[in-house]
Amino acid sequence: MITINVNGHQQTLDVPPDMPLLWVLRDVLDLTGTKFGCGSNLCGACTVHKDGKAVRSCQVSIGDAAGANITTIEGLGAAGEHPVQAAWIKEQVPACGYCQSGQIMNAAAFLAANPDPEDEEIVRAMEGNLCRCSQYVRIQKAIKTAAETMKTGGAATNG
Amino acid sequence: MGNQFEAPALGRRGFIASVLATGAVGFGWGVMPGAGRPALAASNASFSPVNLIEIGADGIVTVNVTKSEMGQHVGTAFAQIVCEELEAPWGAMRIKHVDSDPQWGLMVTGGSWSINWTFDALSRAGAAGRTSLIAAAAKTWGVAADTLSASEGKVSGGGKSISFSELVASGAVSGAWTADDLKKLTLKKPASYKIIGKSVQALDIPLKVNGTAKYGIDFKLAGMLYGKIILPPTRNGATAKSVDDSAAKAIPGFVKALSLKDPSGSFTGLVVSVAETYWAAMRGAALVKVDWDAGPNAKVDDAALAAEAKRLQADPSEGATWVREGDAGAALAKAGKVITAEYTTGLNLHAPMEPTNATAEFKDGVWHLHGGNQFQTMSVPLVAKALEVDPSKVVLHQYWLGGGFGRRLLGDYFIPAALATKALGRPVKVVYSRTDDMRLDCARSPSWQKLSGAVADGKVAALTHDVACGWPTNNVAPALLGDDLDKKNKVDVFAINGADVWYTFPNHHVRLLDNKLAEATVPPGYLRSVAPGFTVWALESFVDELAHAANVDPVAFRLAHLDGAGKNDVGAQRLAAVLRQAVARSGYSSKKLPEGTAFGVAISQGQERAAATFTACVAEVTVNKKTGKFGINKLTVVYDVGTAISPDGVISQMESATLWGLSLALYETTTIRDGAIVAANFDGYTPTRMSQVPPMDMSYIATGVFPTGTGEPATTVVAPAIGNAIAMASGARVRALPITPAHVKAAMA
Ligand code: FES
Ligand code: FES
Repeated sequence: MITINVNGHQQTLDVPPDMPLLWVLRDVLDLTGTKFGCGSNLCGACTVHKDGKAVRSCQVSIGDAAGANITTIEGLGAAGEHPVQAAWIKEQVPACGYCQSGQIMNAAAFLAANPDPEDEEIVRAMEGNLCRCSQYVRIQKAIKTAAETMKTGGAATNG
Repeated sequence: MGNQFEAPALGRRGFIASVLATGAVGFGWGVMPGAGRPALAASNASFSPVNLIEIGADGIVTVNVTKSEMGQHVGTAFAQIVCEELEAPWGAMRIKHVDSDPQWGLMVTGGSWSINWTFDALSRAGAAGRTSLIAAAAKTWGVAADTLSASEGKVSGGGKSISFSELVASGAVSGAWTADDLKKLTLKKPASYKIIGKSVQALDIPLKVNGTAKYGIDFKLAGMLYGKIILPPTRNGATAKSVDDSAAKAIPGFVKALSLKDPSGSFTGLVVSVAETYWAAMRGAALVKVDWDAGPNAKVDDAALAAEAKRLQADPSEGATWVREGDAGAALAKAGKVITAEYTTGLNLHAPMEPTNATAEFKDGVWHLHGGNQFQTMSVPLVAKALEVDPSKVVLHQYWLGGGFGRRLLGDYFIPAALATKALGRPVKVVYSRTDDMRLDCARSPSWQKLSGAVADGKVAALTHDVACGWPTNNVAPALLGDDLDKKNKVDVFAINGADVWYTFPNHHVRLLDNKLAEATVPPGYLRSVAPGFTVWALESFVDELAHAANVDPVAFRLAHLDGAGKNDVGAQRLAAVLRQAVARSGYSSKKLPEGTAFGVAISQGQERAAATFTACVAEVTVNKKTGKFGINKLTVVYDVGTAISPDGVISQMESATLWGLSLALYETTTIRDGAIVAANFDGYTPTRMSQVPPMDMSYIATGVFPTGTGEPATTVVAPAIGNAIAMASGARVRALPITPAHVKAAMA
């Protein structure tokens, strides 16, 4: 039995300890917002927060996540009101959308640690997140928009 | 091009629909969505003038979207088009992506056709709804319909006003719209558009930022099992002689390894590890021992495919004639100097971010397949063939697609789940690992193109263009092969489109050669931008080589051939206009560039002449002449889209298509070794990442003529524009994609 906290809920799970967190979230807990893209730390689609830090959930075994606080896209701002999510809507970022949970989780952790990033810092932070629809221009723009609204303490408006 | 303001003649759509309706695939599909099903009987719950739309008593308007959503926000565009004519408030519009059903007619999403093919039908659906609502109000009030008008979800006139929802709830709205009635409706002129041409927020985006959007891979059924494919040693032709899953039984939750026979022939050897969880299926798969016969392609590699292409090109009796203007052979024989060049592209993968997957379920005598798909009209009969049932017993349920790019035009990925479900009597979801997804891809065939040309008096005197590749249509939809000019040979237009340019060349010959070895080794599919993804690369690079030989500036050279003579009328002028705009915006003729920096240009029709999106790209590139390293300073892209439904949507698609083009130009390729695709993940196959995105300037021309597609055209022009700029900056002419610094350095030597 392994106990973890996901999106504020304590969970006790009967799963093999080597099972990747990604598959626990998706197949056991039905939190399918976290996506499988490569399984090998190459795409970032599976990014979640573990104790506030962005991690690739395909690379973290549930055994290693025991006792941790995990946040997924479903728990970031349930109604999509986290400033990063709001900025993603304002800048109309998603195309197919499949990579975007990972992009958003990566960006949110990045901005929490670096609220006023330079362009190059954004690129460096997001380089591991592949977007096959190549929405990179919009992702960059939305991160700046989110940084701006977080600075002024408000939520990005949908306009 | 006929009247540019009206819906184009059925063209490709008509051809595809008519071929598929003749029973070639055992199905009676209609041509047009929206026609052919009588309206629902009037009720006071909802009103449906044609099956594409439904107006509820709550005032909500639902548009049944027959196209798949894979990032184009096509449903939002559909809703805008309906909303415009219906006069509903934008906030009332909803979209529903429908399951496969013969009532929808031809179901295919590709070729950048979606808007071009449906704009007319959707406009008429909206207009029919408005007309019926006004008629109902007129009858209720006892006034003439022409004294009333509709706007923002209300019918008003004579000082009275009533909402659409009240009208529907009253049960007064009726109207059975036949195809003929629909044709008689008068549609709005662009000047009076209210919602078309506005950048609305895409209706699918909110779901895609909070994790609630359901893709095929997210579908789940109670009691379902999970399957993981065990890769054969070759892409095609391998068979499993024996399967031993005894070691895998130690994995908790592992069920068994299935060796499945696929009557559709999509898989020659199919082994699936099945378990209670995907994790157990993966762990089990690693322990299953399969004794494979690698099959007839076990020794095939890239060199073998290239040798076959060369053999075909050398044999004048081979191939299908696609373009014949004048007598290019004779003109070249007479020319003083003939320039010949060979251009190639390597094997390219779709690798959509959502790995291919499907879930199957058998219920009440019907097979339900869950997973995003782009070509239901072909995928349903393919799955039916694999299951050995009638196509009427197969339903494909649609989801958001985590990328398509053409991968999901071929429905082979439904088959492992379908056959596993059949074998076990329980629903099975098969998820391809990224390696499975890449190595079992219906990859774009490598291409080998040979061009010969001569110039005289600053213009092209003659051009021959031989294209050899594996034909995707032979694999995906053989019924859709066309006839060549001589009506002697079959031709796959999706292997040659783009070579039929809008330039006026006095002598021009284009021949398409079928590399069967390439098809047998890696059965090919359609990849974003399809044939123009390689034909335009070769042609537009070679046009620059000819311009250079003629000693004419590449832009002036192109414009001189875009004279709009004969069959090139209208299109050539529109192409010239986008080229001029790209030239102006990029600074091509005004900006002073330092040594080692140069501009390169390329133009294209997007996909096919019949649904052309005129496109131009100017690349500004700096080359280090010592190392061959180069940087893209800027990409300027211009489209002529006729009419933009959503300006921001157009720009989003332009950015995406441009960067896909950049990716193919510089970063993406893999090889074939021992009959297998080599790339296994995003370390061996490396699409563009954020740091590689150059500055871009996207703009479009919209003169209000009939709308054209936006998802692919830019993909075609980026590689030749960059190649041309590199040649201009350094003298290095690279003729193989992707272009790497090593290639550039080698070409300079
Ligand atoms: S799925 Fe985890 S990094 Fe790609
Ligand atoms: S939006 Fe499609 S992969 Fe990023």
